[in-house]
Amino acid sequence: MRQLTDTETKTLFEKLANYTGRSLNNLLTDTAPSPGAKSQPERYVFRVQKDRVYYVRESLANLATSVARESLLSLGTCIGKFTKTGKFRMHITALDIIAPHARYKVWVKANGEMPFLYGGHVVKAHVGRWSEDCPEHQGVIVLSMNDTPLGFGVTARSTAEGRRLDPTGIVVFRQADCGEYLREEDTLFTT
Amino acid sequence: MAPAPTTKSNKAPMRTGKSGPSKSIGGSKAGPKASSAGVKKSKKPQGRVSGEQVKSKSADSRKDANKKKQKVYTAKELGIPELNGIRPEGVSKPPNMKKGKNFVDDNEGMNAIMAMVMAEKEGNIESKMQKARHLEQLREAKKAEAEKRAQSKKATFEDRKKGIKESERKKRSDGDSSAVESRKSMKNGYFAGFGDDAPPKDAKKSKKRVSFG
Repeated sequence: MRQLTDTETKTLFEKLANYTGRSLNNLLTDTAPSPGAKSQPERYVFRVQKDRVYYVRESLANLATSVARESLLSLGTCIGKFTKTGKFRMHITALDIIAPHARYKVWVKANGEMPFLYGGHVVKAHVGRWSEDCPEHQGVIVLSMNDTPLGFGVTARSTAEGRRLDPTGIVVFRQADCGEYLREEDTLFTT
Repeated sequence: MAPAPTTKSNKAPMRTGKSGPSKSIGGSKAGPKASSAGVKKSKKPQGRVSGEQVKSKSADSRKDANKKKQKVYTAKELGIPELNGIRPEGVSKPPNMKKGKNFVDDNEGMNAIMAMVMAEKEGNIESKMQKARHLEQLREAKKAEAEKRAQSKKATFEDRKKGIKESERKKRSDGDSSAVESRKSMKNGYFAGFGDDAPPKDAKKSKKRVSFG
């Protein structure tokens, strides 16, 4: 387990910034204390273990230094992994971290939730609401109509073009969805 | 004359090393003469050895000093023109550059990278939005133009229709029925081939007959 290098940090932030707005800064600043546990707010940090990036409480990261690299399987929240070409691929486990800071959102109707959770793209007929002024190929968070984050994806069309699209046309290309917790159960947490 | 050798014998142990005094003690037992001779014998080889050792040590140290002191001239000092002084950008590295990975763990470094990335992203999104808006405007302008063109076409068509109708009315009011008839016949001739299954009357009349008589 080690800290990120400057290039790795840049790559990671670029990917995160696809989905989030300026409030992403809050990830780096001290987070609010959990109720009852401690009075002092704790700092969260990013750590790399093998090729995966974890968002960890600093005190936990310090404790984890006593575990050998080979023996350490996982810690904190996995955000994604670096590919061998140096790109960063976000995992569905990062949804809880990026969803509160989302810049653009797409709300899916009840009839579109299951097709999305089974790994399908979001078609126009299933869209209940979407953020205005969203350009194409922009990262978006997919939510159910009761504001539960279901996954994230990339817009296929801008909102203006999407309005003219036929109901079966794809609006959002799926990147990750909560169904992966079941579908990718055996590979999601292996290193 | 007697005190002279004693003085020598006294000096001898000082010059010689550790082995000197033991032999001088042995010599003192035999007598003053023997002691003096023994001292001399012992003195000669030991003195030589010590002298050589000292000489060799000092010579070595001098050589080392000479070697150390030898000045190394740089190419600049000698005035030699530099060969291939151009360093490619990819290769040149500052000598005191840090080796290995540069880790970023402090908040300031992270914030700096974050600010840079955010500015870049916002710029990208803004330019994308501007481009999309511009394209949308163009599309709307094209659509409006097409609509306008279609409307003007329709208007000219209506005008033409109106004009024809009015001219017919005028002719009727003038009482010139022959013109109307001629128009009717022309109309029949013109539309003869379009969709009418029944052949026109003129066509019947012009049917050729063959008689064998």
